[in-house]
Amino acid sequence: MNPIHLNDEFARSVGLPSLIAHGMLQMGIAATVAGEAAGGPGRLRRLSVRFAGMVLPGDTVTFGAEPAGEGKLDVKAVNQRGEAVLTKAVAEYAGQPHSAGERDVGRGA
Amino acid sequence: MAAVAGRTYPAVTFEIESERVADFARAIGADPADGVPPTFAATYALEATAPQLFGDEEAAIDFARLLHAEQEFEWHRHPRVGETVTSRGRVASDTSRRGMRFVSFETDTTDEDGSPVSRSRALFVIRS
Repeated sequence: MNPIHLNDEFARSVGLPSLIAHGMLQMGIAATVAGEAAGGPGRLRRLSVRFAGMVLPGDTVTFGAEPAGEGKLDVKAVNQRGEAVLTKAVAEYAGQPHSAGERDVGRGA
Repeated sequence: MAAVAGRTYPAVTFEIESERVADFARAIGADPADGVPPTFAATYALEATAPQLFGDEEAAIDFARLLHAEQEFEWHRHPRVGETVTSRGRVASDTSRRGMRFVSFETDTTDEDGSPVSRSRALFVIRS
């Protein structure tokens, strides 16, 4: 893994304000939120994001997933300054999970 | 700067271990009881194969100037804990414009039967 996500001193040495969160953290949380909106993470079939902004320790990022047509969700991730840290974030999901045992929270389409 | 579009890397096998899955699920606010989180593909697909690209001297990726700009996962299905999957990385495209190099790195993951599990598409931008 890139040391900019683990080592504050190294991150500063390459011009960053501090160590920064791994983009996969933002994408993973986005998938959790999208999975809940889809009726279970097992229903997710596609997730695509652009890493638009850095996330630093102490930031507060608010995630959301809104229906965007049949089987589609628009995913948002916005920091405490109102800046999107993920853009072009979209998820697609199937009507049924592929396996038993998925949690169905009864939300989404 | 070497353009290495079309380059493929040897298959990497990866065991989906329960402890790693549970740690990953906790980190992203998922319930480990829901099974393997979808974006655990970041480990069994991307993290399994991207080091082959980064370590490829002919690809000459300057890791210190690398940004992971975009990421997409497509799932045929989500693997289960205890499965061993196989991931194969390839450079789908490698272009430069305005002093930036854009490398699209795709990883196809299959299960023990050879059936598709997922496809990862990472876009790396390398500043010059």
